[in-house]
Amino acid sequence: MERIPGQTGHLLLNEEGAVLASSGDLENDEKSAVIIMGLMNLSSYVDKTAFPEEGFKKLSITYDKHCYIICLSNRKVHVVKKTINGDNSNVAS
Amino acid sequence: MEKNLDRVMEEVVSQPGVFGCVFVDHQGLCLGAKGKASTESAGLIAAIAEQAAKLEPHSGAPIIALENDDKTCIIQRTGTITGAIYKNKHS
Repeated sequence: MERIPGQTGHLLLNEEGAVLASSGDLENDEKSAVIIMGLMNLSSYVDKTAFPEEGFKKLSITYDKHCYIICLSNRKVHVVKKTINGDNSNVAS
Repeated sequence: MEKNLDRVMEEVVSQPGVFGCVFVDHQGLCLGAKGKASTESAGLIAAIAEQAAKLEPHSGAPIIALENDDKTCIIQRTGTITGAIYKNKHS
């Protein structure tokens, strides 16, 4: 996780939303963990007409200069907070 | 007002890759939907925008992107209105 370019923090949560590991800006950030778990629960019910497939693979929350990238792997939720540099769009990658 | 929104939605779905859009008010009520989008998820879209805004309450409204292999759902709130755009990734 530390090797991700522009990374300023990371969180590793289990399926219940408990913090398993954390670093940087997100160190022991249980408040963000709760909000992110809430978002993940909500996003699994988005428009079944447009997205009939089961759920989404990646969730990103983008601000002007930084973003959060969230994905589920091996029954764990991985969250990375990173800065956005120049024209390198994180939403499209 | 509805005519203006209708025109905007028409313009949005005519963009390359876009196959649907939904607009929602601050209460989660649907203002309009175009393309392959259901009005039923209006409340959910407003809830997602509200939940994401809690992450950094002082940083302004973020753009939320939900992605799977071939489609993306992009959500952003502007003022009291939340918009969701559904896009195909490979088009």
